[in-house]
Amino acid sequence: MSDYVQMWKDLGMDLETHDLLCQVLPTAVGDVYLTQENRPTAMDFWDLVISEVHGIRPAELIAAQKEGRKVFGTFCVYVPDEVIVAANGIVTGLCGGSQFWVPDGETVLPKSTCPLVKASVGARLGRTCPFFRIADMYVGETTCDGKKKAYEILGEDVPMYIMDVPQMKREKDILKWKDEIAEFAKKVEEFTGNKITVENLAEAIRVINEKRKALQRVYDCRKSECLPISGRDALLMTQISFFDDPVRCAQMCNRLADELEQRIKDGVSVVPAGTKRILVTGTPLAVPNWKLHNIIETSGGAVVCEEMCTGTRYFENLVDESKTTLDEQFMALSERYMKTNCACFTPNTGRIDDILRLCNEYKVDGVIDCSLKFCCLYDTEKYSVSRALKDAGVPVLSLETDYTDTDAEQLRTRIGAFIEMING
Amino acid sequence: MSEIKLPQDFVSYPEARKQAFMKLKALKESGRRVVGTFCTYTPQELVDAADATPVSLCAIGEDNIPPAEKVLPKNLCPLIKASFGGAVTDRCPFFYFSDMVLAETTCDGKKKMYEYLGKIKHTHVMQLPPGQFGEGALAFWKSEVEALRKDLEQFYGITISDEKIAEAIKLRNRERKAILNYYKVGALKPSPLSGYELNTIITSNEYAFDIEKKIEFLEKRTAELTEKYHKEYEGKPSRPRVLISGCPTHGVIDKVIKRIEELGADVVGFENCCGPREKADLVDETKDPITAIAEKYLRINCSVMSPNPGRLETLGNMIDEYKADGVIEVVLMACHTFAAETSTVKDFVTKEKGIPFLSITTDYSTTDQGQIDTRLGAFIELMS
Repeated sequence: MSDYVQMWKDLGMDLETHDLLCQVLPTAVGDVYLTQENRPTAMDFWDLVISEVHGIRPAELIAAQKEGRKVFGTFCVYVPDEVIVAANGIVTGLCGGSQFWVPDGETVLPKSTCPLVKASVGARLGRTCPFFRIADMYVGETTCDGKKKAYEILGEDVPMYIMDVPQMKREKDILKWKDEIAEFAKKVEEFTGNKITVENLAEAIRVINEKRKALQRVYDCRKSECLPISGRDALLMTQISFFDDPVRCAQMCNRLADELEQRIKDGVSVVPAGTKRILVTGTPLAVPNWKLHNIIETSGGAVVCEEMCTGTRYFENLVDESKTTLDEQFMALSERYMKTNCACFTPNTGRIDDILRLCNEYKVDGVIDCSLKFCCLYDTEKYSVSRALKDAGVPVLSLETDYTDTDAEQLRTRIGAFIEMING
Repeated sequence: MSEIKLPQDFVSYPEARKQAFMKLKALKESGRRVVGTFCTYTPQELVDAADATPVSLCAIGEDNIPPAEKVLPKNLCPLIKASFGGAVTDRCPFFYFSDMVLAETTCDGKKKMYEYLGKIKHTHVMQLPPGQFGEGALAFWKSEVEALRKDLEQFYGITISDEKIAEAIKLRNRERKAILNYYKVGALKPSPLSGYELNTIITSNEYAFDIEKKIEFLEKRTAELTEKYHKEYEGKPSRPRVLISGCPTHGVIDKVIKRIEELGADVVGFENCCGPREKADLVDETKDPITAIAEKYLRINCSVMSPNPGRLETLGNMIDEYKADGVIEVVLMACHTFAAETSTVKDFVTKEKGIPFLSITTDYSTTDQGQIDTRLGAFIELMS
């Protein structure tokens, strides 16, 4: 990633510390990704993107900013990309997935905060991630306590807009979320200087729907008994989709899906027959967090689905494209986003329905319910999730972990034993 | 009316708990409705207007925690675990005799705990907005207050009139003034009563069901203490004066509050839910009662609100009014919202108010008593 030094300098990054990150990332990619056999050739796109993760896309964003476009950094799958895209803005995900950023986050946040929140704040304050430097505005949301309070601290350093996410899903909450989206649209118009019209919003809805369909196509291939792609590769695709241009993302995912569908026809699988099919559920796995998938897939399992924000929650459910007024379109957006089932809602029985449905669709042998440390929302739901799965006769393992590698061997032991138990 | 029964293993309960059970049983037998509540955001006036007695379900006690951990994660705030544990084991008389539970979506931990509690007893969860200033926050909260009124009416098969609510508002405002004046005794220097007593009296009064009697008691006690101050304390030297801030402290009163005083300082006030956090601010008696209730409760400065500038303002005023020499913040383990505010509060107390600040994170166990004593001792030395 050496060609981008001047760009990083211009972004005001801490180059010395950032160099350390640049040194470890290729090793991690090599260990987790390049050791796999028989990968789909269409993964070359994501291999390239991840090898230059702080170079290629940041350079594109900066070029777009020079043309007067605005970049919005977001942290959550409830923030509607469509509104930003309609106003010719660009969305980039900002969730930090590496332990590298955690200590900088801990200078202002309690240690007992979830690593994703700490890493996200640390990446900004430590000036070691170009995306956090480039974003013109951050869009936060009141989902969990940890994020809500962290945004107050981030807001001292960068322009921040907070969306008030409801905590329930009654009719009046869906209406409230519609109003919140309409408010956000005004802010986006003001910030970009571009008007949101029925036409450009309809086009944005179509573009993002196409991206969702393309991601779904790849996931559909993972339902096949003949598994054409590893969980690690699919995860990388999903993680990068938060950063990429939505049109190109759809193209690349469709290109990958073409290849995977052909592989299924030809009977090409990435794992030996009988490999246990695992569904992973819980808190998001932000890039470059591949720890869990890597352990599962090197312990005799294959991850076939992620019921996560970096997974099905990101792309399932389309926005109704038939609406013809802004008001109706905002309502259609609200309805779609309120179908996403996160543990920050109460009650959240929809998530359990989703997990049971996905277990069927993806022909799952076992579920690993894993939450990041200090996420009391997902941690508290574990009891209900494991009870529902036990009732349905699906083996389940509940885990808690963070971004460090210190528990990797314990996790390996537990996951290995779990897969062995399924085999028995 | 059906017979009111006691829990199965009632005979094995300690004496104090037995007494609480009998008191509640008598209350129920008198035909009184009982609603369990958790939080200062609960509009008590509506419960009153339903001719029900609100009882606090926020529990203390380490022994309530292991039964809760069968369902809830270990890594959750002890207050939440103890409350749930007390409820599922029938050890908490207040939950046991509650007809229903009234809760709010304040913090993540409570919100999710209520899902499990709702499986045991009718639990009405009010959705509290995550911020006080957002567009529509007040209107939304008002609709939640209205929804609560409807649910109480439906649950009990009654009608709650505006007049009844207005009456309850007046009574509760008088109670607030009495509590606030009692707390203000702590502002006298040197303080004529211990922080331990200050806190204990208020906590035990939460379970005094006759509000008129409670007001009378507090007014009497305030007058006595003020007189005692003029006679015995005025003009005498004072020990270092500590203001407590942060999470509710009734579960750690022995391990923190009492210890501060034993180690040589006076606890003079509480900027937390155990103190006058919401008492200083009355419900407007001139407005439509539902609007007035919604406005009042949304103004409460808890860290679940984002942003929460009111807490710093209140803390600043209290530091001045209570003549505090230092602030000790108590954060219960795994309470994200207060923990995240610590760095802001610390900056405010040390830089803007120029007095020492200590933040203690603890739970309901006694394992960290030695460490807490050491830190408290060092802090008090610093103030002396």
